[in-house]
Amino acid sequence: MPDLVWFLIRRLFGALLVMLALSLAVYLIFYAIPADPAHLACGKPCTPDRLEQARHFMQLDQSTLQQYLNFLKGIVAGRTFGDGTAAVHCNAPCFGYSFPLARPVTTLITDRLPITASIALGAAVLWLLFGVSLGVIAALNRGRILDRLAVGVALAGVSTPSFLLGLLAILVFGFWLNMVPVNGYVPLTESPVDWAWHLVTPWIVLAILQAASYIRLTRSQMLEELNLDYITTARAKGAGEARVVLTHGLRGVLVPVITLFGLDLGGLLGGAILTEKVFSMQGLGDLLISAVGQLDVAVVVGVTLFSAFLIILANLVVDIVHGVLDPRVSHG
Amino acid sequence: MSDELLALKDVKKYFGLRGVPWQKAQAVRAVDGVNLVVRKGETLGLVGESGSGKSTLARVATRLLDPTQGRVEIGGKDVTKVKGRRLRPIRRRIQMVFQDPQASLNPRQSVATILSTPFRAQGLRPTRAQLVELLEQVGLAEEHLVRYPHEFSGGQRQRIGIARALSVKPDLLVCDEPVSALDVSVQAQVLNLLADLRDELGLSYVLVAHDLAVVRQVADRIAVMYLGTIVEEGPAAQVYESPAHPYTKALLSAVPVPEPGVSRDRIVLTGDVPTPVNPPSGCPFRTRCYKAEDVCATKRPVLEPVEGSTEHRAACYFPELPTSERTQ
Amino acid sequence: MAEPVLEVHDLHVTFSTENGPVPAVDGIDFAVAPGQTLAIVGESGSGKSVSSSAVMGLLPSNADVTGEVLLDGRQLAGLPNDELRKIRGNDIAMVFQDALSALNPYYSVGWQVAEAYRLHHDVPKKVARRRAVEMLDKVGIPDAARRADSYPHEFSGGMRQRVVIAMALVNDPRVLIADEPTTALDVTVQAQIMRLLDDVQDEFGTALILISHDLGVVAEVADDVLVMYAGRAAERGTVRDLFFRAAHPYSLGLLGAMPRVDVPPKPRLTTIPGTPPGPGSITTGCPFQPRCAYTHLVGERCITERPELTPRPGEGDHEAACHLGRRPEVIL
Ligand SMILES: Nc1ncnc2c1ncn2[C@@H]1O[C@H](COP(=O)(O)OP(=O)(O)OP(=O)(O)O)[C@@H](O)[C@H]1O
Ligand SMILES: Nc1ncnc2c1ncn2[C@@H]1O[C@H](COP(=O)(O)OP(=O)(O)OP(=O)(O)O)[C@@H](O)[C@H]1O
Ligand code: SF4
Ligand code: SF4
Ligand SMILES: [Mg+2]
Ligand SMILES: [Mg+2]
Repeated sequence: MPDLVWFLIRRLFGALLVMLALSLAVYLIFYAIPADPAHLACGKPCTPDRLEQARHFMQLDQSTLQQYLNFLKGIVAGRTFGDGTAAVHCNAPCFGYSFPLARPVTTLITDRLPITASIALGAAVLWLLFGVSLGVIAALNRGRILDRLAVGVALAGVSTPSFLLGLLAILVFGFWLNMVPVNGYVPLTESPVDWAWHLVTPWIVLAILQAASYIRLTRSQMLEELNLDYITTARAKGAGEARVVLTHGLRGVLVPVITLFGLDLGGLLGGAILTEKVFSMQGLGDLLISAVGQLDVAVVVGVTLFSAFLIILANLVVDIVHGVLDPRVSHG
Repeated sequence: MSDELLALKDVKKYFGLRGVPWQKAQAVRAVDGVNLVVRKGETLGLVGESGSGKSTLARVATRLLDPTQGRVEIGGKDVTKVKGRRLRPIRRRIQMVFQDPQASLNPRQSVATILSTPFRAQGLRPTRAQLVELLEQVGLAEEHLVRYPHEFSGGQRQRIGIARALSVKPDLLVCDEPVSALDVSVQAQVLNLLADLRDELGLSYVLVAHDLAVVRQVADRIAVMYLGTIVEEGPAAQVYESPAHPYTKALLSAVPVPEPGVSRDRIVLTGDVPTPVNPPSGCPFRTRCYKAEDVCATKRPVLEPVEGSTEHRAACYFPELPTSERTQ
Repeated sequence: MAEPVLEVHDLHVTFSTENGPVPAVDGIDFAVAPGQTLAIVGESGSGKSVSSSAVMGLLPSNADVTGEVLLDGRQLAGLPNDELRKIRGNDIAMVFQDALSALNPYYSVGWQVAEAYRLHHDVPKKVARRRAVEMLDKVGIPDAARRADSYPHEFSGGMRQRVVIAMALVNDPRVLIADEPTTALDVTVQAQIMRLLDDVQDEFGTALILISHDLGVVAEVADDVLVMYAGRAAERGTVRDLFFRAAHPYSLGLLGAMPRVDVPPKPRLTTIPGTPPGPGSITTGCPFQPRCAYTHLVGERCITERPELTPRPGEGDHEAACHLGRRPEVIL
């Protein structure tokens, strides 16, 4: 499979370039905003002298370009702010250091990622199953009650604001029926059951919202697919309806569905902001929002780049899966 | 050579295949060194199987595509490099009729608008009488002027396409598969129309088609293409009665004849047409040829006169002999 | 004629559409015996494909089918889909016009042929695959064992049609319906495929229904011919009846309109004026009347009375649906 290897090398190289360009853009944008991170760190009262000190310590007194190069160097070799006993180390790969939280951004991300990933992955499995099956059912019952119902669900899902659905779910299942915990997160390693139990409401809420577009996509794709000649061939061979749909029809439907799925999941792993807020879970989204609130630029840049990286990765994975699903796609 | 309407001199057209960075860019040799002349009043039939480069050649001849190499001469003038505005008077002399009458007419334009477009391109404004005359030439009537393409049958649409091409009084019509999308009965109408127009207007044609029977019906001269090259060329009667190139012979023998019981000595070719990205060395037909010998792989044979004829030429080291191979 | 394996009597197919009912097939009869070839000819829209799909029970749900379809005397029309499924691809198989779109792009050709076998034989995958390779080999795919793993897009047009034929023949069907099997192919490849079908018929005694608009192909391979016009039978007889004793003005017109490759061209082709009518647009009289050059010889009846297939005296099973009692003379 040397084609695939070449393809991967090429794509990874491309991804690297994109990340580099992106990091520069993000860097310039966030350091161009008038907030001075040193100001926040310098405390009160903030004398010009102390401000200058803070600046120097945070290496903000250097030119923007130099700062950017420092940032890149930190990714490869790590960074040290200040010197002597007051020195702060940020080990490679260092994506910046959050002075307000006194933690390297990398650590912050790795701490928060499991929470976001737990929410995103669980919900993703649900919405994929739910969305695709409802879409298929809708397509097979085109124009009949089941179809209308599925399309209705899809429409409702698209038009409901997520926090509303989330709050409603907490209210009904958490408080009134008292069936599930209303907030909090338990690590999988601690207790898988509690983990799932705490996550089930956000999963369902998120899945309902996301499934909508999958129902619609699957339905329209499947309707198109069922008109294709090879479907007639399958029937002419004597295949039953279930086989026609699931073996011959679904394959072509999955190709665009997987594309959407990869991108959605990639995006969500960078932080399910509203869901995390509603369910009070400290994931990446929560990290990003508080960082924005506190003008913690290092964290904002780090999380933004991480999200971008996830999207690029998702794209790559989608392309590979594409090639596996569709033999006509060659990785040349 | 004043009666020479169109001449192609060693024309090549390569299409680039989207290359992969670490691989050498590949070229599709759609047309690979063609010499061809169309004279005033004659109908040249261009035949060959799918992918042999017929349409590409037609498009190069009408200057819709630039040749990769070689010259296109129209009325004795080299027009290969002529571009833009200065191309208009040349375009006027050579018009093209396309295969799919559905796709080549704008569905949102009325017939009147469609027919006026070529006039406009020449900076002219046609009168209604002119448009009606055009329609009548192709067997339609004034009432059709206000209609839209979807209100016509396939055969009628093809007539509109022909009328459009005729509007600027061209000398040469290049018809790319003009009847292959039509039913037999309608196809016959269009073929008769082409013949009538030739008699009335003194038109010349290049008729591109894969259906050899259709071409025989209207062409005076035949050129047979294989993998981007012309392998045989000559007067229709001679080529059909005694094909000299093994490919032509096999091709003709494969065409079924609508008469039960007529037994044909069929030469069934094996294998597929090689890819024009990587054509065989020497004779392009050698991989499927029943007469191929070692010499065929060495150098590409050139078109040479067949024994006993000056007009009839074939590119083969071992051509069929004219007398022994009568099909009757 | 030997005992027919497939008989169709008074077949009507009407589609219900937004623009009202479309009588695509308006009462046709045909039969085919083992080892025999019946050609159905006619212009675009005359109902050839709809008739064959009706035999296979493959029409969409908006089609209303009446009439008899008898396989070995057993009525198929109206059988529940489950029963029909056992017959499709097993007793009656089909070859389509466009082999590229008739094959599923997502599965290897070997898989697709093997599937056709497994749908009617309860055998392990391995056995089915062996059978598939054997079949691919039989239809002339070189190096079949290896090529079985290729995907349709990796084959040329002629090869794909061979695969479709292999798929149709894998269960030794009694009847093979080929709907324009060579229309999309070059003549040299057409010759290969027609030879293949002929060999197959000799070997297995398959009854072949060949749908075609190419009278050349028909003259070469058919035993019997049914000429269809506007959803009805215009003429029916042996291939010699049609080509040497054409009794219907439409058949005669078709023959005159065909250019020939083997004889010097006639000065003009005979033509049929006008174009074929859409289904159901001519409700009384002879559907061919608006284009017929002989109607003046008959008069009113052509407009008022629908001609039915009537035997030609002294010509065996030769029948034509025309009020003109005698054979039409060629008019130029
Ligand atoms: N725009 C293009 N880009 C790349 N390849 C092309 C292009 N146009 C044509 N080709 C290739 O050039 C070759 C000749 O094509 P062309 O359409 O001229 O054949 P043709 O003889 O007209 O065939 P057909 O009978 O199928 O119309 C084919 O291999 C085709 O795939
Ligand atoms: N699903 C459908 N709904 C409505 N009308 C249909 C449907 N399928 C076919 N028809 C109509 O039935 C008529 C017969 O179609 P059919 O496909 O049998 O023609 P055909 O003889 O096979 O023509 P061709 O040579 O073009 O394949 C056509 O007029 C077509 O428009
Ligand atoms: S040159 Fe050789 S290979 Fe080519 S057509 Fe002639 S005999 Fe065949
Ligand atoms: S019945 Fe009349 S209109 Fe119809 S084919 Fe015969 S002569 Fe012509
Ligand atoms: Mg072409
Ligand atoms: Mg059809």
